[in-house]
Amino acid sequence: MIEFLKKHYEIVEKGSRLYKLQIESDKLVEILSYISINSNFITLSQIACTDWIEDEVFSLNYILTTKERDKNLMVEVRIGRVHCSLPTLLTLYPQAQVMERDLHEMYGINFRGNDTLYDFALENWNEIPPLRREFDTLAYVNEHFDFRIGREDNKDVKVEVKRRKAQAKELKDGK
Amino acid sequence: MSENTQEGFVDQQKVLNNEEYSIKNTQSIIQKAVDWFRARSMFVLAYGTGCGAIEMPPIFTSRYDIERLGVIGVATPRQADILIVSGYCSYKTLKRVIRSYEQMNEPKYLIGLGSCTINGGMYWDSYNTIKKLDEYLPVDMYVNGCMPRPEALIEGFVKLQDNIRNAKSEAGYIQYRENNAFYRANQEKIFGKNTIPTFEENFAGMNQ
Amino acid sequence: MENNDNQLIKIYHGPQHPGITGNMSMELDLLGETIKEARTHVGYLHRGFEKLIERRTIIQAFTIVCRICVPEPDPNEENFARAVEGLAGIEISQRAKYIRVMVLEMARLAAQMLWMGGQSGSIGLGVVGQWSVYDRDLILDLFEELTGGRVYHMYIYPGGVRRELPNGFLEKLAQLLDYLERRLLDYDGIFFENSTFKKRAIGVGVVNRDEALKNGYVGQVLRGCGIERDVRRDNPYLVYDKLDFEIPTYEGCDVYSRALVRRGEMVESIKILRQVIAQMPSEGAIMQKLPKHRKFKLPKEDIFVATESARGEFGYYMAGDGSEFIRRMQVKGPSLIHGFTLLENLLIDEELSNVALIMNSLGICPPEMER
Repeated sequence: MIEFLKKHYEIVEKGSRLYKLQIESDKLVEILSYISINSNFITLSQIACTDWIEDEVFSLNYILTTKERDKNLMVEVRIGRVHCSLPTLLTLYPQAQVMERDLHEMYGINFRGNDTLYDFALENWNEIPPLRREFDTLAYVNEHFDFRIGREDNKDVKVEVKRRKAQAKELKDGK
Repeated sequence: MSENTQEGFVDQQKVLNNEEYSIKNTQSIIQKAVDWFRARSMFVLAYGTGCGAIEMPPIFTSRYDIERLGVIGVATPRQADILIVSGYCSYKTLKRVIRSYEQMNEPKYLIGLGSCTINGGMYWDSYNTIKKLDEYLPVDMYVNGCMPRPEALIEGFVKLQDNIRNAKSEAGYIQYRENNAFYRANQEKIFGKNTIPTFEENFAGMNQ
Repeated sequence: MENNDNQLIKIYHGPQHPGITGNMSMELDLLGETIKEARTHVGYLHRGFEKLIERRTIIQAFTIVCRICVPEPDPNEENFARAVEGLAGIEISQRAKYIRVMVLEMARLAAQMLWMGGQSGSIGLGVVGQWSVYDRDLILDLFEELTGGRVYHMYIYPGGVRRELPNGFLEKLAQLLDYLERRLLDYDGIFFENSTFKKRAIGVGVVNRDEALKNGYVGQVLRGCGIERDVRRDNPYLVYDKLDFEIPTYEGCDVYSRALVRRGEMVESIKILRQVIAQMPSEGAIMQKLPKHRKFKLPKEDIFVATESARGEFGYYMAGDGSEFIRRMQVKGPSLIHGFTLLENLLIDEELSNVALIMNSLGICPPEMER
């Protein structure tokens, strides 16, 4: 079945049972409906989003699974990080509703046509969506909470490693 | 509590008013008897707020069988004496925990289970969990560990029973009632104003 | 009050409720005792794992991965380890693979035992929980001997497993398996064949078989509908393709079928563990040599791995970015679809008293929904 799809699309083989396909975001619904009707990749198992802040894109991987549950196909879509929006897949897969709701909250991606994008896990969240790279969780924590005295590991590891190296060097040079 | 305060556990000390509410000075024989009975009948609210709740079934069933110490679970806050905050506490849970705690009848006690309630534990840099439980609710006993073994939790219960029986420490609920402004201010700091019902509202509802 | 007969009452089933699986909440609209609308609310356990993992190196992230699912942490460790190995191109030894299978199957047995306590507790059969949680503790004792931890093992490490087996461990395991196999007959009498349970469970929570595959249901929900799917056989990992086991299926689509499927899986787990004990290579490194902590870098690639947990397929998507940090790790547990797409529909026109029963039979576990 994957050979049939390979005739139409440029599918890359990533593992023994894992395939990848990169498409444009405006063809998303069209291609996914084609795949779900004409092949046995009928199920959406996950929508995975990665924030590539250096390229200014979100990469969304729609992970499709076959009817036999033996192969996985990752369909990758890249969209800009500003005013990001995508069409919903609610009509194709009912389970997309909760996945899109999750991504809307965590990344601020707007899924056009999904009217259930209300709060998922967070309550009264007023900051930028937390899984975007520019959201600094450590700064947020330091602003909102204070730690109990005695918690020594609340440090930037890189700075700490440098400090310890310099300390060791000083000791060595002193001797 | 007053002499043995460790470094870092100073916040509660600030709000304590030892002379006025010390049970130690006024503990009569009747009071002693009441405390003795009270220590042997602890009803735990069945609210698993975090991953520590996975060690509750072993404790309440035949292997560790904590019922021999007089500890059993109940379903509703109205009948409960003990609230166990088992592990990390997210904003959303904390709101419900506060509500449950305020609805419980006095005397009531709170056990903080796991390192996460003490200083954030594994999730010290997480944006959605609180770091110090005793800023928002009075904690009578901390049990540390991630995850604490059932034996550790049983020891926590035994220590708490000692405290109740001997009136060793200020009970948390008295602090919470008398110094509610301190806790309320901390709660409002993270929830915003007027988002949760006040202690008086919950407390008045209880007596009706 | 007027129109009292047709008035909908809204109640919150949870988060503070003994009949709920974990810290979550169902918002129910009731007409009398019948549920007319159900909405799932999660977020009470949201810790932002995926954000925390972005800030940690691979080895640091390893310690928090197992905390994603509390009743059964090992499939998470296995998924994480396999994704890292896939990205970094590490091949683990045959002996490590067998040890991993052993840990995963022990975890599956322990999780099914805990489920049995929850499922029977949801209909008031308290005594089953008293037995099964005890038996689960015997498995946890072995885990403690092997890994040092009762609940969180942190044992399946990228590159192999963390420790060598203790002396005489396999013999102890074999003894425990004999005991558990005998125990299963007792459980038949008190639980699986119990007329109380049958009366409550048969015909309740019936899943629509036609949409089961399309909607992405996994695990016991599929196998309880008579559809034979199991990641261990369909998309084999570790050494599952060398082991002989069957996939139990039942046709009823209801709570009782899912319970019987779970019972069948316990038998199969015991069978697999016996084969592992027999086939385990006595020689071989358990750990591959890994780069140093800060030099352990993942290429700019992505991967998707899946493991069969005690409740269905656990999927991890992982993307590296050429640094020692993981750029993105997204978790999809079986409960995400079961808890929203399936449960919200399944509860409609059910009795209020069946909510806990159905939730337990689906094995809903909130920490993996919201991470």
